Amino acid sequence: MSFLAPLFLVGALAAAVPLVLHLLKRHTEPRVRFAAVFLLEGAPVEHTARRRLRELVLLALRVGALVLLALAFARPLFRSTAAARATLTVVAVDTSLSMSAPATVSRARALGLDAVRTASAGDDVAVVTFSDRADVILKPTGDRGAATTAVEAVTPGFGSTRYAAAFAAAGELFSGRTGAIVVITDLQASGWDGGDHAAVPQGVRVEVQDAGVPPPNLSIDALRSDGDRIVATIRNTGDRAREVRARLTVDGRRTGESTVLVEGHGTADAMFTNVRATGVAAASLDDPSGIPGDNTRYALLGGNAPGSMLVITATGDLDKDAWYVRHALAGVRGVAAADNARWTEDDLNRYPLIILLSTRGLERRGREKIAAFLGAGGGLLIAAGPDVDGEIVADVLGPWAPLEVRAANVQNALTLAPADVRHPIFRSFGGAVASLGLVQFRAVAHIAGRSCQAIARFASGDSAVLDCEAGEGRAIVVASDLNNRWNDFAVHASFVPFLDQTARYLSNGATRGSEYVVGDVPAGVPAAPGVSTLKTAAGSRRVVVNVDARESAIDRMSAAVFQAAVTPLKDAAARDLRVGIAEQENRQHLWQYLLAAMVLAVMTEGVVARLA
Amino acid sequence: MAWPERSRRPAPVRQFLDPAVVARLGTLELKARTVVEGFISGLHRSPFKGFSVEFAEYRQYIHGDDLSTIDWKVYARSDRPFVKKFEEETNVHCQLIVDVSGSMAYKSSANASLGMSKFEYAACLAASLGYLMNRQRDAVGLTAFSDRIVDALPSSTRPGHLHSLLISLDRLRVGSRTNVAKPLHQVADSMAKHGLVVLISDLLDDPDAVIRGLKHFQYRGSDVLVFQVLDPDELEFPFERATLFEDLETGDEVVAVPGAVREHYLKRIVELIERYRRELGAAGIDYQLLNTSEPLDIALLAYLSTRSRTA
Repeated sequence: MSFLAPLFLVGALAAAVPLVLHLLKRHTEPRVRFAAVFLLEGAPVEHTARRRLRELVLLALRVGALVLLALAFARPLFRSTAAARATLTVVAVDTSLSMSAPATVSRARALGLDAVRTASAGDDVAVVTFSDRADVILKPTGDRGAATTAVEAVTPGFGSTRYAAAFAAAGELFSGRTGAIVVITDLQASGWDGGDHAAVPQGVRVEVQDAGVPPPNLSIDALRSDGDRIVATIRNTGDRAREVRARLTVDGRRTGESTVLVEGHGTADAMFTNVRATGVAAASLDDPSGIPGDNTRYALLGGNAPGSMLVITATGDLDKDAWYVRHALAGVRGVAAADNARWTEDDLNRYPLIILLSTRGLERRGREKIAAFLGAGGGLLIAAGPDVDGEIVADVLGPWAPLEVRAANVQNALTLAPADVRHPIFRSFGGAVASLGLVQFRAVAHIAGRSCQAIARFASGDSAVLDCEAGEGRAIVVASDLNNRWNDFAVHASFVPFLDQTARYLSNGATRGSEYVVGDVPAGVPAAPGVSTLKTAAGSRRVVVNVDARESAIDRMSAAVFQAAVTPLKDAAARDLRVGIAEQENRQHLWQYLLAAMVLAVMTEGVVARLA
Repeated sequence: MAWPERSRRPAPVRQFLDPAVVARLGTLELKARTVVEGFISGLHRSPFKGFSVEFAEYRQYIHGDDLSTIDWKVYARSDRPFVKKFEEETNVHCQLIVDVSGSMAYKSSANASLGMSKFEYAACLAASLGYLMNRQRDAVGLTAFSDRIVDALPSSTRPGHLHSLLISLDRLRVGSRTNVAKPLHQVADSMAKHGLVVLISDLLDDPDAVIRGLKHFQYRGSDVLVFQVLDPDELEFPFERATLFEDLETGDEVVAVPGAVREHYLKRIVELIERYRRELGAAGIDYQLLNTSEPLDIALLAYLSTRSRTA
């Protein structure tokens, strides 16, 4: 037997207390050798033999209760020696969208079965499937038949590729053992997301089995409305140009067709004109030999355009205070922060989005109105530049997202990078998201907040862009200004799409969060492409779910590059051993039985102590 | 039979009957003589008649008579030997049966320095009775028992027999367990002659068995006198605080709070005494309860009363 927290066994020394008390206790009754003791029968007397036995039982119960308590706190477990000896082979099969081409699926299963067969005799085998997240479909077992069955049942889905999830799940299975992780994948480069790395325990080797290059594929990467037109972006990963006929339906009704020629390894837009409608648009094409899951894309029509926006500056003069923002976005109107006394709720509620560039003169009433606008579902973009007071901003976001904004010292100019390229703001950048790294920040603000997610970080690691939930609304906080004062963001090509996507993301509270990628669906929404209804406290709304467009891009890496992102951890074995032991203890939960036994001993002691 | 009341007038001679005084005397023989002489002396002053052991008449000396009984004054006057004849001169065979079981060893704390244990009291009583019996020319024997007979001396009037009896008594030691009935039956079966049987015991045993054993003597034609000797503690249960009582014979231990058990105990001891008194009386067996803190004259008076009816 081992103990998870052996130091608690010291507490068993407390069991000496009742023992010492028992030994020290002296019966003070005088002893009288009497001839007529038998005449006391039937009187309320206590036979000393019975009393001694009762005292011994009480002593045993008290000592036992203390010992059991110490043992329970020490968290005992029976170590599985078998697991400690046998090595483990984890077969991790990529089941992302890019693996769903028929030929790729067959090849992946064959490689998986081969990995099971070639695992050393006596080794345990486990099977893990992964896309956005990893699932252990077969825990470590010596049953090769079960492993074979599990591999044969593997079926790709609609998720994106994330190798980090696969290694995290596989690594947890080793629990201090040695062995191998056999990764069966198409080596898609996007699987290492934004600089991801994976760590495996020391003594675990990583083998990569290449499922091969996906077949030439046609996919609809994007679907958007542009005035009275619907534009579907079609990608061709094949070498040859292909003529593609795309179809459009709105709420299931056929609306139009468009035929385009897509060059090899290129994209083309299919236009569907005269589409003034609201509802769910679905663009689809035929590609029987390619990845089936990316042949249809969905979009929610109506209200996607951000509409007009209110920009709060120091003077209200956008040409003076927000020239770049004014020209990057359409339909903006400027007001001075100091004029907040004249605002009414209706004034603010006419706008789906407020851009806060200055807090000078923004008094409490004004802050409360902005907070109310936000809580009711409005969107707020805050640029924490020189005209923004951190305390006032924190006051606006209030209890929803307590925020800290203060000036930060910058020795050298900082660059930023998205922390999550799948965020709706960065998703549309695609491969161009790296251009954000060209922006130089000479001065920044330190921003941090509960209920906020850092969706972009500076090279220093500090948050650059926060996405904060605030009541029914949402706020994006940028840790610098947007008027070319602390940084040169405004003169970079990425400025406009950043603002546009941010405005789209924050505006129209009824439609924000209307599009999701399979890996990011909220609770209650199926993780599969299509249309669904999301129920929230504010009501229900229709949402669409699409596959990650990056899965359709054949951007592969070599096995060496793949391996380079995997780091063996020297102390991971010990850590994993500890984790494994902790997991064993968690499964056995002997401490609960010991605690129950202790409670029983205490209750029994109470009953026996009352016996006369 | 109604017992005569003891004299309530403090008499100097009664001090010799006080157990506390007697206990300080040396040998058992001395104790016995002191008690008996003191008792007889008290009798002479007593208004009670009928228990005399004085000289009644003369008869002519017969060869074999005890020379100490020859009245030398009469011989001087008449030149012929005459022996004194006492009023109670009979050949009654008396058998003293003394309980020496473990329970007889009890001695209350009040009597720790003064007074006697039940065994010492019983031995002193037996010695006194033996002395008195011998003085009256009765044959006296001794049987000591615990759960079995540990010593037996047949009754006799031989010169020196009293001394042997006293030595036997002096050598007795307290035994272990009690079994009153079995030795009684054994003694009853072994008695060749009927006479007077005097049982000295605390009778802390099964009353049914004890009474049956005593009736066995009656069946054999003997008179029986029973002295139940108890310590004051056994009669009054004077304990105050919680006490661990250890049985003298079995070693059983109980812890009792006297306040909670006194009433129960006293009820049971009274029931036991009354049962003996009632059933022995109904059987025609004389019974006397003795308290080891009280003088022995009650016992001696009881003996004389019984003795007077024994032919």
